[in-house]
Amino acid sequence: MKIVLKRLKKRNKISYISFCIIIFLYSVAFFADFIAPYPYNKQFREYPLCPPTRIHFFDHNKNFHLRPFVYEIKLVNPALNQYEVIKNKIYPVYFFVKGEKRKILGIFTSERYLFGTKQGKIFLFGTDIHGRDIFSRILYGARISLSIGVIGVSISFVLGFLIGGISGYFGGKIDNLLMRLVEIFMMFPSFYLMLALRAVFPLNLSSFQIYILIVVILSLIGWAGLARIIRGMVLSIKEEEYVLAAKALGLSTFKIIFRHIIPNTSSYTITAITLSIPGYILGESALSLLGLGIQEPYPSWGNMLSVSVGNLRILSTAPWMLIPGFFIFLTIICFNFLGDGLRDVLDPKNW
Amino acid sequence: MREILKLENVWVGNQEVKILRDINFEVKEREILSIVGESGCGKSLTLRTIIKLLPKNLKLLEGKIYFEEKDITEFQDMEKIRGKKIGMIFQEPSSYLNPLFTIGNQIEEAIKNGKDRKNKKDRVFKILEEMGLSKNVYYQYPHQLSGGMQQRAMIAMAIINNPYLLLADEPTTALDITTAFGIVNLLKNLVNIHNMSIIFVTHDISLASFISDKIIVMYAGIIVEKGNAELIYNNPFHPYTKKLINCLPEKYQKGERIKVIDGEVPTYKNLPKGCPFNPRCEYKIEICEKKLPEEIALENRDVRCFKYGKIMES
Amino acid sequence: MKKYILKRLFQLIPLLIGMTFISFIIIQLSPGDYFTQLKMNPEISSETIEKMRKIFGLDKPIIVQYFYWLKNIFTFNLGESFSYHVPVSYLIKIRLKNTVSLSIFSLFLTWIIAIPLGIYGGVKEGRWIEKFLSFIAYIGISIPSFFLAMLIIFFISKTAILPLGGTTSIFYEGASYLEKFIDYLKHLLVPGIVLTLTGIGSLYRLMKNNFLEALNSPYVFTTYAKGIPTYKIYFKHALRNAINPMITIFGYELSGILSGAGLVEIITGWPGMGRLILEGVLSQDLYLVMASLLIGGILLILGNLFSDVLLALTDPRVRLK
Repeated sequence: MKIVLKRLKKRNKISYISFCIIIFLYSVAFFADFIAPYPYNKQFREYPLCPPTRIHFFDHNKNFHLRPFVYEIKLVNPALNQYEVIKNKIYPVYFFVKGEKRKILGIFTSERYLFGTKQGKIFLFGTDIHGRDIFSRILYGARISLSIGVIGVSISFVLGFLIGGISGYFGGKIDNLLMRLVEIFMMFPSFYLMLALRAVFPLNLSSFQIYILIVVILSLIGWAGLARIIRGMVLSIKEEEYVLAAKALGLSTFKIIFRHIIPNTSSYTITAITLSIPGYILGESALSLLGLGIQEPYPSWGNMLSVSVGNLRILSTAPWMLIPGFFIFLTIICFNFLGDGLRDVLDPKNW
Repeated sequence: MREILKLENVWVGNQEVKILRDINFEVKEREILSIVGESGCGKSLTLRTIIKLLPKNLKLLEGKIYFEEKDITEFQDMEKIRGKKIGMIFQEPSSYLNPLFTIGNQIEEAIKNGKDRKNKKDRVFKILEEMGLSKNVYYQYPHQLSGGMQQRAMIAMAIINNPYLLLADEPTTALDITTAFGIVNLLKNLVNIHNMSIIFVTHDISLASFISDKIIVMYAGIIVEKGNAELIYNNPFHPYTKKLINCLPEKYQKGERIKVIDGEVPTYKNLPKGCPFNPRCEYKIEICEKKLPEEIALENRDVRCFKYGKIMES
Repeated sequence: MKKYILKRLFQLIPLLIGMTFISFIIIQLSPGDYFTQLKMNPEISSETIEKMRKIFGLDKPIIVQYFYWLKNIFTFNLGESFSYHVPVSYLIKIRLKNTVSLSIFSLFLTWIIAIPLGIYGGVKEGRWIEKFLSFIAYIGISIPSFFLAMLIIFFISKTAILPLGGTTSIFYEGASYLEKFIDYLKHLLVPGIVLTLTGIGSLYRLMKNNFLEALNSPYVFTTYAKGIPTYKIYFKHALRNAINPMITIFGYELSGILSGAGLVEIITGWPGMGRLILEGVLSQDLYLVMASLLIGGILLILGNLFSDVLLALTDPRVRLK
């Protein structure tokens, strides 16, 4: 692991940076309770669609303040969501500021958070139509959007490994049958299949049920491709001399699979996993975006965008509502860069 | 006899490694020269140097190449020489022929002079016939031919413009023995019919002595011995050539143990200092580890070994 | 050639049966008896129910129902939509046209842009321009189509250079054929551009790699040794060999395009199959969902068949087997 990272750092800077960003995003999601200035469902009714708060070091008289501050803002035109900055009300920004009591990671309670103001509001990415802080919601939403990819890929992978492995190793009729099944699954456009599978279940489920449901749907769509890749790999490795040698030595099938085939597929597998995570993140976002996934008030990066779909007024007056989309994009591009870098680094031919 | 090709003090490599070092040889008109050596000794690279198609990471560092007594070292317009005056054939015809075009198409596009389509086609038919292939082959794709037929088509493509020199890069290695024999005979005949010289690269020194007038033996990017084919085969001088010939199956008595050359071929990144063969050489003396020996001209041959250098010095 | 295509057609039969079966199973999995659900819906007349019961054998065992359904599919009777009160086949006919034109439009654009760029990138491998193109390609591959669609809509909402939503403008009635066509095209542009932009990246990378691989292949080395001009080496030998694998992945590309189109249709308001299936899911209109899924699959099968035929035409190794 360490060697891989070192090599990544040396050979492929951009994928190393991507790796760091991914780690950063995951840790931010983990500590969302502590970093977010507000709870995800806290509505500030007097601040709907408020633009991102600016943090200042210089006040309007050009005086420098060592401690950054924000101005008071006020909704002046509710119809057009126009806000006015009140220049004589200055609220400094503090680290480890005291706020409402909140549970952290569901274990202990805290009343101090990473940053915030004692008075006034700080909305780094603005607010949504209900006046909820988008920055905080992105942090909480990251928990869903980022975890679903990893969980989904693990389930698909177990399925794909089992089916692809069996198919490739035993060959013959089993292989034929399983591969036809894979083909059938791959012959449906994945978006259509995803919606059709979603249609099987009722629309209103509890958020936990929906989370599980999304994972199951995405794994059902994803396993086929992975199974095919793994089958191909097993087939080619099966013909390699060292496996033939192991067979000639009289090793059991079980031993051959676990001692020879699996270790030799691992580098390829890691790459394939990394590169397929974006698909799961996209799948979750798409479902939530269409209102078929994670339901309000729980945030996911997908459902935070759904208000803007088909609503030109919000889209044109409050472009900060699109920030969650940027985070989806960032995560996906990082996984893609990382996957490509890993493929490069893990390939023994490149050592 | 006219000199067709001459390499003078040719060095090929890059800033990190030197692969070919101090290559000198010449090819005369209607002469077959064989380059012999283990894989990775720089045989094929020598051919690529001549036709000036080096891999991207390597370049000609030093030396001169003369073709038809003209210096072509700095010559830019190689398209006028390649295919027209120098032809080339390869080890695995199946991968060196484009799978998506017919044989006829691929031979025809090699024709340099002549615009008339009909005339070109007739020339292809004629050369196919000379190669012992039927007219049908013109319309066939590479995958429809056997390995031997593919190689014949390859040769047809290389000699359609009547070049002065044919570079043959292990043309028989991928073929079975009877097919290979046919190709070798075909090549030998070309020398007489088309007035052509051939550089024949192979790892098989007995085949080389059978086909060629002259032999060059290469080891780790240098020429260790060169000269008359028969003489070298029957009485090798350089310790490496000696061992190479002693390993040949036909040199064994029944029941004798198989001989191998001890040690390994060095990689270009860690070549031993001095003579590259010194770690495996049984005649090694002190100087072998310090200096690369010069080529020493003896009767009928040149040898790059201090064993023969001492005689000269004293 | 004929034999090969017949063989491919023959191989499709089990695939089709499998697909219909899975589509059918998905519907059967849904909670509650479908038949009772029908009866409870006050909007559906008892005559319709009676008619459907007869045609689809709704009171028979599941396997029998499957064969009823299969029989109906072959006569293009895909059932009744409960939310629209029209036959599903009627709805699909309208929407399919839009999805197919959107897919073909963006497929065409994607290929016409990505192939030359891929060749260019292959020739310039290692230079800054190639690195720049590859970086842009990464962005294109990674940007979610719905996010890009929203960004473009945001941009258009500010500039109003293109119409948004639907397939036609208000003045549509009474316009000439040409005007109608141009109007349709204008509406097609927003979803089309989104799909194209998200598709170019991966195609560019594939083409670049194929072209590089071809350039470094032994048979291209032969052409250098033959001394034929560089442009001919690039555009005759390397190009033909680089394009061939692209044809094989055409089917796969189509799957991506159809899926992408589904989502983009919904975001940009283009009335295609993607929106139809979403409407079906939201109103629990199961026959509609099932039929849309099946049609989506059949489109993909047709696309794959098309690429098989194309491959047979371009690759003698396939054709002359």
